[in-house]
Amino acid sequence: MNPKETVLVIGSGIAGMEASLMLSKAGKKVYLVERLPLIGGNVIKTGESFPNMECSTCLVAPIQQEILQDKNIEVLTVSNVQSVSGKAGNFDVTILKKARYVNISACLGCGMCYPVCPVSQPNNWEQGLVEKKAIYVECAGSLPNVPVIDSKLCLRLNGTEECNLCTEACMFGAIDFSEQDELIEIKAGAIIAATGFDTIDASEIENQGYGKYPGVFTAYELERLLASNGPTEGKLRLRDGETKPETAAIIHCTGRDLVGYCSNVCCSYSARHAHFMKEKLPEIKIYDIYTDLCLPDKHFQKLNTEIRKTKSTYIYQSDPQKLVIEENAGKLKLNYLNNEQKSTSLDVDMVILTTAIKPAAGMPELAELLGINLDKYGFLQTQEGSIGSICTNRSGIYAIGCAEGPKDIPSSVVQSSAAVAQVMNLLEN
Amino acid sequence: MSDKIGIYVCECGPNIASKVDIERIVAEISALEDMKDIELVVKPYKLLCSVAGKAYLEEEIKANDLTHLVCAACSPRVHDSTFKEVCKKAGLNPYMYKIVNIREQCAWVISDKEEATDKAIQYIHSGIGRVLYQEPLIEKQLESNPDVLVIGGGIAGMESALNLAGKNRRVFLVEREEELGGKVVNYKRLLPRQGITVSSIQNKISELNKNPFIKVFTSTELEKIVGFLGNFEIILKHNKSGEEIELLAGAVILANGSKEADPHDFQGNEYSKDDEVYTALEIEKMYNQTEKITMKNGNIPQSVALVHCIGRKEVGYCSKVCCNYLVKITDYLKELSEKVKITDLFDDICLPEKEDQEYYEKVMTQVKSVRITNSRVEGSELHYTEISGKESVIKPDMIILASALLPSEENVHFADILNIDQHESGFFLESHIKIKPVSTNTDGVFVVGSTRGACGISDAVLQAQAAAGNILTQLIPGQKIIPEVMVSEILEAYCTGCKTCLEVCVFGAIYFDEERGISVVNEAICRGCGNCVGSCPSGSIRTRHFTNPQIYQEVKEALR
Repeated sequence: MNPKETVLVIGSGIAGMEASLMLSKAGKKVYLVERLPLIGGNVIKTGESFPNMECSTCLVAPIQQEILQDKNIEVLTVSNVQSVSGKAGNFDVTILKKARYVNISACLGCGMCYPVCPVSQPNNWEQGLVEKKAIYVECAGSLPNVPVIDSKLCLRLNGTEECNLCTEACMFGAIDFSEQDELIEIKAGAIIAATGFDTIDASEIENQGYGKYPGVFTAYELERLLASNGPTEGKLRLRDGETKPETAAIIHCTGRDLVGYCSNVCCSYSARHAHFMKEKLPEIKIYDIYTDLCLPDKHFQKLNTEIRKTKSTYIYQSDPQKLVIEENAGKLKLNYLNNEQKSTSLDVDMVILTTAIKPAAGMPELAELLGINLDKYGFLQTQEGSIGSICTNRSGIYAIGCAEGPKDIPSSVVQSSAAVAQVMNLLEN
Repeated sequence: MSDKIGIYVCECGPNIASKVDIERIVAEISALEDMKDIELVVKPYKLLCSVAGKAYLEEEIKANDLTHLVCAACSPRVHDSTFKEVCKKAGLNPYMYKIVNIREQCAWVISDKEEATDKAIQYIHSGIGRVLYQEPLIEKQLESNPDVLVIGGGIAGMESALNLAGKNRRVFLVEREEELGGKVVNYKRLLPRQGITVSSIQNKISELNKNPFIKVFTSTELEKIVGFLGNFEIILKHNKSGEEIELLAGAVILANGSKEADPHDFQGNEYSKDDEVYTALEIEKMYNQTEKITMKNGNIPQSVALVHCIGRKEVGYCSKVCCNYLVKITDYLKELSEKVKITDLFDDICLPEKEDQEYYEKVMTQVKSVRITNSRVEGSELHYTEISGKESVIKPDMIILASALLPSEENVHFADILNIDQHESGFFLESHIKIKPVSTNTDGVFVVGSTRGACGISDAVLQAQAAAGNILTQLIPGQKIIPEVMVSEILEAYCTGCKTCLEVCVFGAIYFDEERGISVVNEAICRGCGNCVGSCPSGSIRTRHFTNPQIYQEVKEALR
């Protein structure tokens, strides 16, 4: 293996996938490491994308498919990087490839194994809105379309009993309990970290009622409720799974003060959310409670103006810190200060909190093993003294996408291509 | 050699086999009445896409001397390329094969097994009908030139050039003005998060001038360009001497920037050059050149109003950079005078980068913030409506306006000669808003910096590197380019020379041969979209692999 011809990409969201494909086209061997059993990152959780309301799956599935079929790209799912040593142009990397317990080349993804599994657990990928089994795929359309067995919960793997139900259900002999975790050692000339983001825990925010009142949702929960491959198959319902909300309020900037920065994408996805909520339930009355609108792209403002005219009533609140959400006889009551700083209230069935983006879990550990710095917010830090840089403090290691800070899809792809330029220049010269 | 069609029905484990009657498919397809003169090999297989399945298929193609292949399996999105690869390995032209989707379109969507089987048979029949009319297509290889033309010597253009130039790749950097540097060199300084000083941009200019692989053409404009990815022919023209320079390059990066709008064009603003009203760029230049920000009488202003979003409603977009640079200007004003009273009037505050809010909070202390819904400058007075609806007028010593960033007027010209699309705002349109942010609808032409849409320096730099990343991976020195083979062709005998096709071609792939009086397709540019086929009144255009007989046969059998 020639390290000059090999690149390690950590994270298979849109940024990591685009970088991998570009490098592969230039003849580089790419190791694409993903901690989850599926590739695609956060983009595939969204039903449609802003501003042209294009179906996200239709946009991303061909990219995922191309990645899986690309002979230059070795996709390592359920894997993470264990150690990195060496220097730019010649890194030694150890990757822990965890056992999936399902043979990826034998499995067809027919889905016969998980209905028979006796163990259930919350599906966090679906924001905990539904359950999944101990053998599972995260959602319909997961790619690779191959389930994984949770070894802690599987009755056979955790030693509870000799359960054999999934093996019996599988017609292809793809279930393999003997599979072992594997340490893979590779050499790589450059490393791109594209590990994405998490969102803050909405229940940490005072007076917003999340976790206390069932009518309060996060925008990322709503995203899955609106998605046709989500837990409600795209039906907009309250937590009982049946009640259609008649009124809803989208609260902007949830947690912005807490994290200390604007999350960049919430104003635009909120416009999209209002559009699709109205499309699913034409009778619904939607309010957007906002303070600042941040729509920094030539495509955005026009659509937002259109949504304000036809889909949602935008209400300015003069002090987001004074917003209090209460429940009263099954209705949610929003108390806020209006444009004249007067206390005002609004009754709704559903509240959507646009929770702030925060660094992904495990960032400090990743930074430590890559030997790179975090910024004061906990995102990967890019080099000081160099404008618009995706270079970290360690030569040959690049940080892109939301691993570097909150941003939208095009900005992530721009960074992704920018990192490819740095990698090509580093390895070719 | 007579035709011999292989038809392989994939069971996809239980996915297809449990939902359609494979045996009946094989029996009925083998006995098709209209195919009785053609030799058919019809066989089921448990899983064609598996390693064993692919080896089996390859062996079958060779052993049976198949001339055509139909795979009745899953969606082409999943395995079309898999079976094309098998064809290539087995020595069968991949355009002599057709995949038929009996999984997603039959097995998975029809619960009645007989109905699903009927539909699958009809689809396979339709596929056989089509494949018989398919023709072998041969991929061509074209030489490509790795050199790059960069238009615009601002920060985005310079960054592009520096990321591309090397011993195997030359860059031609064209700047209309006499000096490189663009707008940025007028600034007193950059935002703290940008981490560098304006002087390091000056360093970039000298670095660029010293680079032996970069040729800089100042006072020069792009006169003419024709060609396609890998092979552009370019004529530059010196805008003083009129001298023309001919060049060849493989890709183009357009980085011609944007301009600050004249506030008089918006919101009913009326003021003369004697009034104490300035745009943000004027303030930057004044501070940079004189080390001071003063009124016309030379005094330091004691009260300043900063007004955001000038023209935002009219132009229809947020200019992204204004909130940030007004914080920077506040910083300037405070360092020049401790006593200055600043009023900041805004509709929304847009601080989309992670470090922006901290800088804002640090600088904007002791500044009076007023949320407004509209404003108007009249002489030296500022009239505005607060968000509460209250109307007010103030007359500070100085008014500083953050006026919208506008697309350059040259964009219409560039859109025309480079055959790229403009957004309705006048900025350029990316080839895909989400996933191809610096590409355009012409392969090999990229747009970066504020000509793509209002953006700050960091964004411009990253976009420049992104375009470089695309070029470094698409145009590799010494490597040939393989253009699309499913392209349009015009039959000379039928073309009446009406030029309708030239108008509908979005890729600029058709040109008119004046001598012969006919339209001609440049196959290196054509993407085979078929627009021209539909538009041709004399039916003289066909798209390879999507010819009328092919589509007709497919539809005929599907509807039989």
